[in-house]
Amino acid sequence: MGMTLMEAGATLQLVNINPSTIIFTLINTLIILLLYRFLLHKPVMKILDARKEKINSEMKAAEDAQAQAEAVKAEYDAKLKESKEEAAQIVSNAVKRAGERENQIIAEAQQEAADLKKKAEESIELEKKKAINEIKDQISDIVIMASEKVCEKEISKADNEALIDKFIAEVGNE
Amino acid sequence: MTAKLMADFTIEGPLRSIPLPFLNDIFGEENACIAESVVTQWIVMIVLAVVFFILGRNLKVKPESKRQAAAEWIVEFFNGNVETSMGTYYKKNYAPYIGALFCFCILSCLMGLFGLRNPTADVSVTGTWAIITFFLVLWTKIRTGGFKGYMKSFVEPLPFMLPFNIIGDFANPISQAMRLFGNNLSGMVIGGLIYFALGSFAIAVPAVLSLYFDLFSAVIQSYIFCTLTMSYVAMADMSEE
Repeated sequence: MGMTLMEAGATLQLVNINPSTIIFTLINTLIILLLYRFLLHKPVMKILDARKEKINSEMKAAEDAQAQAEAVKAEYDAKLKESKEEAAQIVSNAVKRAGERENQIIAEAQQEAADLKKKAEESIELEKKKAINEIKDQISDIVIMASEKVCEKEISKADNEALIDKFIAEVGNE
Repeated sequence: MTAKLMADFTIEGPLRSIPLPFLNDIFGEENACIAESVVTQWIVMIVLAVVFFILGRNLKVKPESKRQAAAEWIVEFFNGNVETSMGTYYKKNYAPYIGALFCFCILSCLMGLFGLRNPTADVSVTGTWAIITFFLVLWTKIRTGGFKGYMKSFVEPLPFMLPFNIIGDFANPISQAMRLFGNNLSGMVIGGLIYFALGSFAIAVPAVLSLYFDLFSAVIQSYIFCTLTMSYVAMADMSEE
């Protein structure tokens, strides 16, 4: 203490509790606090919170998307398995049907062949019979001619035919 | 009073920059003024307002600028420090105060580099911050323990501790203020002495010393001051956690 010069430019004591400095420092500190709080702290915290929220929501969205993708994959796997089974079923059915058809075709062919054979045999038999009958007629004519020549006489037609039949039967048996 | 350290070397208190005669009757003629320390604080305030404004504007959720990275780093630094020293409860309310105090304190110290008077070399300034600490401690004790708990805390752990506890309540903030004040004033005194001793050869050497006393010491002391504020308040918390 003991300072008496009051004009501006004079100095205070080196160690001096000055109430006006205390009041001004208090006000200044409060202002700095407000400046820091509202110009820096609050905007930064707002951004940090927004970022945190964004990250959380994006992570959640990613998890949801993954779950969805897994569900879709499972569905596709199931469908794929199903269609594979279906395809196998179709193939085996086709094979089975083809086998049946094969057998059927073979059976039909065999049947047809048998029929043709039978028909052919029948027609051969018929031709044979026809030929035999023709031959019979010719032979009977020849025999009649020959016997007329041999006997030089007419024999009754009935006797003649009886003779011819007998002859034919003999010929037929040989 | 000016401290006479050498025959011709004197170191003086802060200037009475703007006299406030209307306060003469209340504070006395000598103290009725705006001191140099307060004027320097205003410069610091302007600088901090500009810096905070530039750092804090136009922030994006997806950071694009180094400016935003710096802003986030600063805020996260104080948040983290307050959370580790004081706990999560105090983070919301104390991080801005500690951040503001640290910025104010460190920039005040750095004003010495520009030839301005370091406000923290004025005990009235550091004392003000210590008074704030004192009231924060008082409030925390009453908030967590109630008025009864606060009164009871003076006779704990043993009744004969009463005088020590009372002294402790005042000694902590006073020592805190004196530490910051003493460090910065001594830096100023030593700097002045070096200049005085080197005379016209004062090249390089004062710069190196100034690097320590103004820069390194400023950062360390500001940090210590803030840490002490946090730990005093945290220690005052009587709620069981």
